[in-house]
Amino acid sequence: MPHLSPTVSSSAKVNRSRRAFLRAATGVVSGLTLSGCGWTLAEVRPLQASAKTANELHIYTWSSYIDDALLEEFKAQTGVTVIADTFDSNEIMLAAFQAGKGAAYSIIYPSDYAVAKMIELKLLQQLDLSRIQGLENILPRFQSSVHDPGNRYHVPISWGTTGLIYNSTKLNPPPTDWSYLWTQQRTLSRRMTLINDTREVMGATLRSLGYSYNSSNPQEIKQAYEKLVVLKPAITTFTTDAWRDQLIAGDLLIAMGYSADAMSVTLANPALKYVIPSSGTSLWSDTMVIPKTAPNPDVAYAWINYVLQPSVAAQMTERLNFASPNQSAHDQLPAPLRDNEILFPPESLLTKCEGVAPVKESITELYEKYWTQLTSS
Amino acid sequence: MSQTITHNQRALAADTGFDVELRKVFKVFNGETAVRGIDLSIRRGEFFSILGPSGCGKTTTLRMIAGFDSLSAGELFIQGQLMSQVPPYRRPVNTVFQSYALFNHLTVRENIAFGLRIKKRDKAEIVDRVQTVIKLVKMEAFATRFPAQLSGGQQQRVALARALINRPAVLLLDEPLGALDLKLRKEMQVELSNLHQELDLTFVMVTHDQEEALSLSDRIAVMNLGRIEQIDTPNRIYEQPQTAFVADFIGNTNLFPAKIEGAHPAMLWITTTNGLKMKVKPLDTSIPLTSGRVVVSVRPEKIHVSRTIPNDVINCFEGRLRHVMYLGAHVHYVVDLTSGDRLTVMQPSAITDLPGADTPIYVQWAPEDCLAIPTN
Amino acid sequence: MSQASPSAPSDVPPRDRDLPKWIEPLLLLGPTGIWLSLLLVIPTLLILQLSLVPDIRPGQVVNPSGLNNYALIFQPIYLQVLGRSLFFALGTTIICLLLGFPVAYWIALMVPKRWQNLLIVGFVLPLWTSSLLRSYAWITILRPTGVLNSALNSIGLPSLDILNRSSAVLVGMSYSLLPYMVLILYASLEKLDRRLLEAAADLGAPPSQVFWRVTVPQTLPGITAGALLVFITGLGDFVDPELLGGASSMTAARLIYNQFLGATQNWGFGSALSSLLILAVSLAIALLLRYGDRNASNV
Repeated sequence: MPHLSPTVSSSAKVNRSRRAFLRAATGVVSGLTLSGCGWTLAEVRPLQASAKTANELHIYTWSSYIDDALLEEFKAQTGVTVIADTFDSNEIMLAAFQAGKGAAYSIIYPSDYAVAKMIELKLLQQLDLSRIQGLENILPRFQSSVHDPGNRYHVPISWGTTGLIYNSTKLNPPPTDWSYLWTQQRTLSRRMTLINDTREVMGATLRSLGYSYNSSNPQEIKQAYEKLVVLKPAITTFTTDAWRDQLIAGDLLIAMGYSADAMSVTLANPALKYVIPSSGTSLWSDTMVIPKTAPNPDVAYAWINYVLQPSVAAQMTERLNFASPNQSAHDQLPAPLRDNEILFPPESLLTKCEGVAPVKESITELYEKYWTQLTSS
Repeated sequence: MSQTITHNQRALAADTGFDVELRKVFKVFNGETAVRGIDLSIRRGEFFSILGPSGCGKTTTLRMIAGFDSLSAGELFIQGQLMSQVPPYRRPVNTVFQSYALFNHLTVRENIAFGLRIKKRDKAEIVDRVQTVIKLVKMEAFATRFPAQLSGGQQQRVALARALINRPAVLLLDEPLGALDLKLRKEMQVELSNLHQELDLTFVMVTHDQEEALSLSDRIAVMNLGRIEQIDTPNRIYEQPQTAFVADFIGNTNLFPAKIEGAHPAMLWITTTNGLKMKVKPLDTSIPLTSGRVVVSVRPEKIHVSRTIPNDVINCFEGRLRHVMYLGAHVHYVVDLTSGDRLTVMQPSAITDLPGADTPIYVQWAPEDCLAIPTN
Repeated sequence: MSQASPSAPSDVPPRDRDLPKWIEPLLLLGPTGIWLSLLLVIPTLLILQLSLVPDIRPGQVVNPSGLNNYALIFQPIYLQVLGRSLFFALGTTIICLLLGFPVAYWIALMVPKRWQNLLIVGFVLPLWTSSLLRSYAWITILRPTGVLNSALNSIGLPSLDILNRSSAVLVGMSYSLLPYMVLILYASLEKLDRRLLEAAADLGAPPSQVFWRVTVPQTLPGITAGALLVFITGLGDFVDPELLGGASSMTAARLIYNQFLGATQNWGFGSALSSLLILAVSLAIALLLRYGDRNASNV
């Protein structure tokens, strides 16, 4: 049965016309896109205000900062419906915002260092302080931030520290400082995690070497990197909060984490304890900002005022377990929560803490370069 | 029924001159018995055919010899060695499949060389032997083609070459010419025969085409429903069928169920169920029949027809012509006898004017031109 | 003009010869072509364009100007990351082949026909669950105090430290991608002509030779397709290395993610990495398609 089909010639012809078509199409499409009609990367344009948005407030926040009761009470007070979208990292929030998603939000909850970035990118509007009540209740420490001097753009909503959460039944003697990780490296090998954040980890290492959390000295930064390289084989993984389940289950002995996460974990398992390293750590705060493209600034101010009310702030702390920088709210808290050292460490310990401050572009790149080398190897 | 082995032969050692022996071989598939207790002995250098209708078990038998199917019962010897535990790749047989089963990812040359490559022969030897065999089957021009680019006949020749190059003791052919058109089939039959004589191998061929079996074989085994009806030379298969089935399957014949009335070493008196009285000369070689039921077989070409009563009244019967078919070299008559039997008769067309239908006619044949086959 | 069959009836109405030849391909390819262009071709070209702008940050105008981003890639640290991605993808492909082939072979050639479909569905069932859930399930199993180690300890064997290492990543990825491999190999093996296997045995090939000389060449198109699918999917997987791989599991996918959604915000570099990956995958497909075709002349 010969297979030299007589239809070879006609199928070749079809192939040829198909190829020609594809070639033409590719040329047209490529030409259009690559012609470098310069387009701006990630431009955010404001949405057209519509009647529907008048009674709605869209906020973009962390999932641990809101719950239904909060939103319903606001609606009862002001008649405005709040729709909250959540994110779990500042970078994702920034990227989503710039990709165009941000135009719908009137309130955003960036962390303090992210505020600096957003100011730099000219995304935020200055706050009209005359429209806000209750700012005097904010702790003096948070009245001005190194990321936004004078708090012109943001209102702090929560704060905390970074420290070590460990299993007290398994670790004896217990850790008191970052250096514990290195001195006990063998015991802790593959049973410890660090936070997945450049500045936090590098800062903690710098601190353990006696340098500032925000060092701009390339030599010091290099030393910190090399010290981390020594520790690397013992590190199970870099994670911001995935350590929680593993620590509770006993897979991990110690983890670097934020005080807010430490709070929830210690409540779940009393054997777990949180310690602020004696050589000092970072002090962070999360904030509220109003973007320039906010469709509903009036309601945004209403929201800020609502959240600054001491009773509301106190309830949030009680229900959601994060530390509010609102002094009068703190006074209203029940005793166990008010004296909780994880959420509200004593002043003596706080003196050693620095905020993670912005540094020069070239230094940021240096940090990133070491970080990439550390995590990629 | 005649047997081809006696019990004595079971005791013989390996060098019996038989390349393939089957003893009381059974094969059962899922409750269905495909092969029922057959005995077969194939001599070295023979061209042996297994002939039968579809479903008679001939292919199963061949597959058991090759090793693709295991025996349910019985024994199989190849060159005197018992083959029960021996897998196909260790048997000294090669098969030409009905569908050729050529490796479509290899060229003709690589297909043919396959068996030698497996045995890890060195390159020079492989090239040499492949060249020889390719010439033998006349496929030199196609050596670098792929099977998909070959015609049926060409593929068949490659399949042959691929099997022959291994110099097997026995070559098994499973309906090798079945897929070819008539002209090609005739050509290939001649080639097969020539190959057999040239190479002096034992060929075992399975076919349903009786002409092919008759023309090519040294001996034929006729199979039906899992049993062997007869094993004999082509001539004796045709002239001296031992069962009604063989008589009917090979060539054309007229069959009369009948009963022996009287027996004599030189003559049998037989009455058919329809009342015809016949005289049949018994064969010298068969077991003498004395009584019992038989089937009388008369080949159409042995019957004479005439419009007048013939001189010889032995085996002469009256009837009417039903059909006359003029076939050029022969004339085909269908005669209805007064007894109710319908006969087919074939005669060379020497007669100038043919009788028409419905003519009263007389048929006659000699006692030595018919056969009495015992039925059980 | 294609060859008309000799028995074409003469009363067929004459076709409209005024339509130019390119109308038909245009109409047939049009909808898919537009869909592909919008969702695949144009975004890929945009990424390519982005990759040619060194140091692009959000808010800047896009003007292709140089290959600096690509030069960045060839630093040892990034090459190590790319190498790791390749390692995971290749490792997963090999594991899936080694595990998948016997399974597919067994189902296609040794299981009675009526059970085959059931078994294939059974193997494909894990695909119905979310891939993220599957990765988390592996965490539960492979943790130091997880299911696997509990089982091992209960029969006196020591615990295995698998999670947060490369081996866990390979386990997770292989598990997710094995069904694809089994499906594709099964489809290929099912079409295997058993008589070829008999012919090979008849010609003296023991089972191992039958496998290597007949079964594998005959199913090579299936093997190639399956390997390609698993390799490409594995190359882009960042969930499994992220969740299961621990501290030393940075892959190209994760690196690209960091450039866009991480702290680095270097979209140009991320685009360059993406373009490189796309190029590598395209090359792999092109090469393997050609190779696969040559061996399958008849399937």
